Amino acid sequence: MTHSLHREGSLESLEKEYVLFIYPARGFNYKGSAPKVRHLVELLYQAGPVNMIPTSLRRNMYSGVTNEEILDSITVEGTRVYSVFNDREKLKKALILIQEANEGISIMVSGVTDRVRELAAELGITPHMVNLSLGIHGNTDRLPPADIREFTTMCGHGVVSPYLVKDMIRRVKTGKVSAFDGSVLLAEPCTCGIYNPFRSAELLREKMPLYTVDRW
Amino acid sequence: MMIHEEICVGCGRCQPYCPTAAIRYDGIKSRIDPDVCYECSTCLRAAHCPVDAIAESPDVYDYPRALRRYFSDPSATHAATGIQGRGTEESKTNDVTLRVKHGEVGVAIEIGRPTLGMSIADIQKITRAIARAGVHKIEPHNPIHSMIANEETGDLKPEMLGERVLSAIIEINVKRDELRGILRTLKEVAREVDSVFCVDACTIVEPGLKIPEEVLESIRAEGFTWRPNAKVNMGLGRAWETPEKQGC
Repeated sequence: MTHSLHREGSLESLEKEYVLFIYPARGFNYKGSAPKVRHLVELLYQAGPVNMIPTSLRRNMYSGVTNEEILDSITVEGTRVYSVFNDREKLKKALILIQEANEGISIMVSGVTDRVRELAAELGITPHMVNLSLGIHGNTDRLPPADIREFTTMCGHGVVSPYLVKDMIRRVKTGKVSAFDGSVLLAEPCTCGIYNPFRSAELLREKMPLYTVDRW
Repeated sequence: MMIHEEICVGCGRCQPYCPTAAIRYDGIKSRIDPDVCYECSTCLRAAHCPVDAIAESPDVYDYPRALRRYFSDPSATHAATGIQGRGTEESKTNDVTLRVKHGEVGVAIEIGRPTLGMSIADIQKITRAIARAGVHKIEPHNPIHSMIANEETGDLKPEMLGERVLSAIIEINVKRDELRGILRTLKEVAREVDSVFCVDACTIVEPGLKIPEEVLESIRAEGFTWRPNAKVNMGLGRAWETPEKQGC
């Protein structure tokens, strides 16, 4: 999850999405956290995330799981929730509802820092800490191309394979699958639920002309 | 992971799902190279093999190979920490835990990310470099901590060195005036490893989400830059368990 701060892409693209975590702290507010987390997830639904996973279920919003199943799974103390929004105003609505609910569970927002700063100021929230990405180091020649990393870094754990991205570009380009359906397939390996299929579909349409239809 | 050769129909559907390209054709069937496989189970979980030929390898939980699973499969619960994930709650709950205090910087070295993974022998190069730089305290609740044989030297347990993992996170806390030194160390060790790592720096902010200038100056001074996107703890958490019951 730490990796949500290393999402790559143009500023314009990054400004459209925000990752929001709900995170009880082991030993500090785990006990009694489950009903509070469930309440916060109910509030998130009102704001309209484009993907979400609670650690109690590990199935994303496109896996066929219903909202009720997601909510009903949140009975385990310490359940964490990972979600992603593709609209600043939706995130703002979520934060307003969370702030009003005052459940005392830690909330993290990953996004363009200036935009988060603006939102915090608008809502009268005083952020506590920032986690800055100081980039990728080492043998960076081995990395997949930057184009492909815009997809793969949407998954914090690196399990959205660059080869699958290339394969999906081929499948979309040859008309075997739509850009959105291809993005839902790309989101499936990501068990943290913060792969944004809407941004991914935009990226697929944008990158498609740059790639051939050869097998990955 | 493994593919039952007698069941596989050789459709190749699973192959692009592997982040490390461990699945290749062997003749007309797909086969997983056990040396390359990280045991992340992405192929089993997401590739939807039409004939259910993909399975866990029988030795997946044998030590030390089990490290691959614990560090590479996001849904696996780590045996050393009892929680899912490669790191701790780090900055995510710092408003409640104050693990990184005022005047400190939490530095996380995200091993093998994005996507490449790293050998544990290379991870040892980083833990040794950090130890040489005078930092001997790696976050005790992080699964990396359980791999350390000698905190003074940064040596890892020797039986682990032949393994490789998709991701791991080394977490350390330093005083703000020590940040430059540790960043310099990381810049140097980056030249020695055959893979990649991401560097994170977490710090308590001033009102208005103002990042302390001392931290930014240290980052600039070592030739690092920070991305425009970051992770922000919104400061909405609070503790209610009593201190004597706290596990951290």
